[in-house]
Amino acid sequence: MLVLTRKPGEGIVIGDDIKITFIETKGAGIRIGIEAPAGKKIYRQEVYDRICLENREASQWNLADLDMLTSAMVKKESL
Amino acid sequence: MKQTIMTRFGEVEFDPQNIVRFVEGLIGFENLHDFIVMPNRKNGPLFWIQSVEDPDIAFVLTDPTNFFLDYKVVPDGRERDKLGIGKDDECHALAVVTVPPDRKVTLNLMAPLLFAPATNRAIQVVLENSPYKTREPLPV
Repeated sequence: MLVLTRKPGEGIVIGDDIKITFIETKGAGIRIGIEAPAGKKIYRQEVYDRICLENREASQWNLADLDMLTSAMVKKESL
Repeated sequence: MKQTIMTRFGEVEFDPQNIVRFVEGLIGFENLHDFIVMPNRKNGPLFWIQSVEDPDIAFVLTDPTNFFLDYKVVPDGRERDKLGIGKDDECHALAVVTVPPDRKVTLNLMAPLLFAPATNRAIQVVLENSPYKTREPLPV
């Protein structure tokens, strides 16, 4: 990993189209500004990680699960 | 022309015209773009999508309004561009269903799929500031 030291107001340019500016430190946090093309997806790391994990878990199932759940739901609806 | 693929559920036949294209993949599965929609063998609110490119990857989906009546996701301009639709075109929000080992099903309402029937395209979006979670239990 490339590690750089920046002062508030200084920035980093990544490639032709991404600019990151370090705005200020605020308590224990650091406020950063990001300029990137509109279509670029930008996530907070922990949010991205959580959804990755959830998607991965959601891909693990089998047809017996589906049958069982469907039966349970249909039964509930008809009550 | 029908095609067949081998999946972990067995052989599946599909019409390439019915492929739903995830233009950016799903989060964590960015390299998988083409999915086919599989009907549930039984009636009910659940169905599933199977990756055409990876036989191991399939997701159970549902229309979340079956369970959360007021759940609504409207695509913004950027998302509509990715879906290739205009402001007045139809767009459905679908939730990915997780079946954990204890079988207490949850819906990922924080990162729904947006599906545009007009273009057969879909994207996964993240609702960062919504009250919904990635593991929303079904209402009792």
